[in-house]
Amino acid sequence: MAMNFWEAQRRARSKTSIYVTIFVLLTLVVAVLAEVAMRIFAQDSYQPPIPIIGLAFLIITFGVAGYNYSMYQQYGGSYVAETVGARRIDPGTTNPKEKQLLNIVDEMALASSLPTPPVYIIPAKQINAFAAGLTPNNAIIAITEGSLNTLNRDEIQGVVAHEFGHIYNGDMKISLRLAAMVMGFFFVLYLGLRIIQFSSYRGRKENGNGKGGNPVAIAAIILLAAGALTWLFGSILKSCVSREREYLADACAVQFTRNPQGIANALRKIAKDAVSDMPQHGMAFSHLYLEDHSALSSLFATHPSLEKRIEAIEDRKYIPEEWTVDNAKR
Amino acid sequence: MIATLIILGIVLVLILWAIGIYNRLINLRNQVKNAWSQIDVQLQRRYDLIPNLIETVKGYMSYERGTLEAVVNARSNAVAAREDLEKSGGPTGGSLKNLLGAEVALKGAVANLFALAENYPQLRASENMKTLQEELSSTENRIAFARQAYNDQVMSYNTSQQVFPATLVASAFGHHPVDFYEVADVEAKKAVKVSF
Repeated sequence: MAMNFWEAQRRARSKTSIYVTIFVLLTLVVAVLAEVAMRIFAQDSYQPPIPIIGLAFLIITFGVAGYNYSMYQQYGGSYVAETVGARRIDPGTTNPKEKQLLNIVDEMALASSLPTPPVYIIPAKQINAFAAGLTPNNAIIAITEGSLNTLNRDEIQGVVAHEFGHIYNGDMKISLRLAAMVMGFFFVLYLGLRIIQFSSYRGRKENGNGKGGNPVAIAAIILLAAGALTWLFGSILKSCVSREREYLADACAVQFTRNPQGIANALRKIAKDAVSDMPQHGMAFSHLYLEDHSALSSLFATHPSLEKRIEAIEDRKYIPEEWTVDNAKR
Repeated sequence: MIATLIILGIVLVLILWAIGIYNRLINLRNQVKNAWSQIDVQLQRRYDLIPNLIETVKGYMSYERGTLEAVVNARSNAVAAREDLEKSGGPTGGSLKNLLGAEVALKGAVANLFALAENYPQLRASENMKTLQEELSSTENRIAFARQAYNDQVMSYNTSQQVFPATLVASAFGHHPVDFYEVADVEAKKAVKVSF
């Protein structure tokens, strides 16, 4: 179906809201289920007036998530860039390719009504790029040497516009929040596992206190199951959100450049790109990349396939016929 | 008792909603103003770059006095038109038209200059010239993107005023639809013809 880029943006944003709502509901529902399961299986040995297990699940999850989030929050975009081994371009550079890149970034800052971020170059031959930093004021844009050598000006501009799309939509923040929650879920799973290991070392206790058996062991198993369930579905939802944000960033790239061919051709060149040499220590941030060449199955993939993205840009006619003028827009 | 509470509740919700709309409209209007001044910044950048261009080119193209002078004059006209616009308090019909006309003439003069520069291989190859070409080309891009961003902000602002239920209160709060930055003059839209 044909849809212009404004519609595509609206669609991606509403799908994101749906996924995030499901994510929150998942958390709450699992907390309730954990409490109910505990009461069923532990019976007499677990009858507190307040839902301890349910609350424990929520507190542990949000606590770990909050801790992780605040750890990352203190690092601006520059931290990520430097971890990956990128070097910042000197604003006063005389290198023509670098100067051109700085111009391209300035142009897209104007088009998106955002401040101009520092620009970094990643020492890799692959065509790739990312934006990092949680707010427009501490955001950075990084692009590989390979991109500068392989892409023409319009294509580089498409890539830069895509990254500005991420900054504009606060995608790094959303990603980090979801990732922190998923880490919280994993911690619950891990905790459950450890408690089980710990209780089996101490041997079985006397089941003298009525029906239900050892409440600690039961609680541990329930936490393990709750953690596993939320970790699995949370990861899937996080990937769904990530894919929608990629479509959104592509639609924003078209909005900012008004030139679908630029970003579409850049994606085509990436598809043909045989090299894969992004720095290994950057793997933790691969969900931020323009394209992450991941072999993950489509459920867990952080990016939609290149074919789907190119199709979305071109076949959906992000710029409908009636919007073009006979002459250049200038 | 319950009835009064419900009514109070509804009134509270209405007030909060109205405050929300009021603030949003203020934000959007300021974004529009900011976007307009961005266009101005980029126009100034182009005016500032042109003397550099003339200096670089003069040494090589001393015989092309006519073309060089055309650029210098076109630039002065554009600067004057822009000052006129500021004096008249903003983009009114007549002064905006003058500015657009002067801008188109300046673009044409610069394009002529670059076309002519093709005949001077040493000039073409000089690093200075290449840098300037990229700078001027980027300046044209920036002006275009600044206008585009302005139009995008205007669209956002206008839409926010027109959707329901904001439309009920928008003009009461002092907001009116803003015009897009459109090149209304048919002449100005025609592709600039390069002549030798």
